[in-house]
Amino acid sequence: MNKWQQRIKPWLVNHLALPSDTMLELPRITVIGHLHVYIENHKGLVVYTEKELTLKTNHGHIKIQGHTFVIKMMLPEEILLEGTIQHISLIES
Amino acid sequence: MRQIQGTFFTGYVTISVAGAYPERFFNKLVAHGISVWNMKKESATVCSGNIRLRDISKMRQLRRRSHYKITFTAQKGFPVRFRRFKSNTPFVLSLCVSLLLIVVLSNLVWKVEITNVPKELEEKIYAQLDHYGVHEGAWALSLDEPSIIQRKLIEDIPELLWIGVHKKGTTYFLEGVEKIVVEEEAPPGPRNLVARKSGVIEKVYVSKGLPKVRVNDYVEKGDILVSGELGPEEREDDENDDTDKPKTRVAADGEIIAKTWYETTVTIPLDYINDQLTGDKTTQYSLSIGSLTLPIWGFKQPDYEMSYEEVHNHDIYVLKWKLPIEFNKTVVSETERQQATRTKQEAIKKGIAQAQKELQLKIGPQAEIISKKILHESTEHGKVKLILYLTVEEDISEIEPLTQGD
Repeated sequence: MNKWQQRIKPWLVNHLALPSDTMLELPRITVIGHLHVYIENHKGLVVYTEKELTLKTNHGHIKIQGHTFVIKMMLPEEILLEGTIQHISLIES
Repeated sequence: MRQIQGTFFTGYVTISVAGAYPERFFNKLVAHGISVWNMKKESATVCSGNIRLRDISKMRQLRRRSHYKITFTAQKGFPVRFRRFKSNTPFVLSLCVSLLLIVVLSNLVWKVEITNVPKELEEKIYAQLDHYGVHEGAWALSLDEPSIIQRKLIEDIPELLWIGVHKKGTTYFLEGVEKIVVEEEAPPGPRNLVARKSGVIEKVYVSKGLPKVRVNDYVEKGDILVSGELGPEEREDDENDDTDKPKTRVAADGEIIAKTWYETTVTIPLDYINDQLTGDKTTQYSLSIGSLTLPIWGFKQPDYEMSYEEVHNHDIYVLKWKLPIEFNKTVVSETERQQATRTKQEAIKKGIAQAQKELQLKIGPQAEIISKKILHESTEHGKVKLILYLTVEEDISEIEPLTQGD
């Protein structure tokens, strides 16, 4: 059943033009300049320091680097990071 | 952001989590549905963030199964402020006392105002109101309704025709109408009407009594006009009959209009002086303390040749006490003297008018001057002297009581 779901979802995204983030449960990252990063659909916080934020996602991790990080808001699936953002990297596992 | 809006009203706390990987504790909180905001990593082992007041107990439960140490660093929001405010006893106490004071003071009667009635009735109303408990400083809640006070007042004070009682805030306004108690006149005793002065009768109106005169009769002063004795005509020759039939005595009443005459003398100067205001004036203000006068406005003395001063004094009051200071307003008006000469004709005309006016004042407004005649005129020392003869129609009746038994 689960396998079947895994296969049908990309097909739905491609053929029915459904948004990929909701269908595939991928994180959606919104970056506002170097000031804010808004991440939806994450699966939990792994590392958080003044200079780094690592979040777990379905397919790996998101690593954001910079300085003077403050988490403005943290909700079960959303996070809003404020600070000076320098790098955003997606790490596949 | 929607999640953390309105947190000021529900209240929130800032917690500081100490231990290895403190952010993971926050992660755990979030996973259990607790919103966290303004999260900050203070150091490698300390992380702080805000959570809602209502999430504290949930957070405590989650902490029990962990090694983290939690300290509350700040409390904010309305419930927190309210709690803090409640613990400030003197402030709460003073607020309560002041509220109580406002309530108490606004329920006192501060003023009772009575308008439209004479002073002595006002005193009576005040006394009566005092009796009901309505006076300055009374507790308004324990008093009757204005309509009831109104009814009671009208019942208790017979001199009042009507009184309106209104309560406006802390003031009672009373507006009364005095009943004019007309005392029934004592029925007049038997009387005659006699002539006050000599004249020729013009009109006779008798409402009671036996008229003794007719129109065009000439009467002397003291003649009986209307007799109060009713009964058969007196007959000199028949004395026995007369004594047998008792006469009815009534109070004669009526109006006898007669033509009377007056002679008056007036003197009118031919040259006269007339002072007139030119319309030019200045106003000066000053304060006077005892006999000392202190000008405060209008220092310049006007250069009028002749002037007329009008001084208005105003007392200065502080609340109800009169201060020994008086505020004076002086209006200096310029006057002009006119010297004029009259012709003889003008002087006579003026003289007649003056004489008529004087006579009218003397004999009253009911009397009517019907004709005037110059008996004599002479001019001497620049003055015209007139002797006037005036004919007047007036009521000449006068009351003369009839005394019993001669």
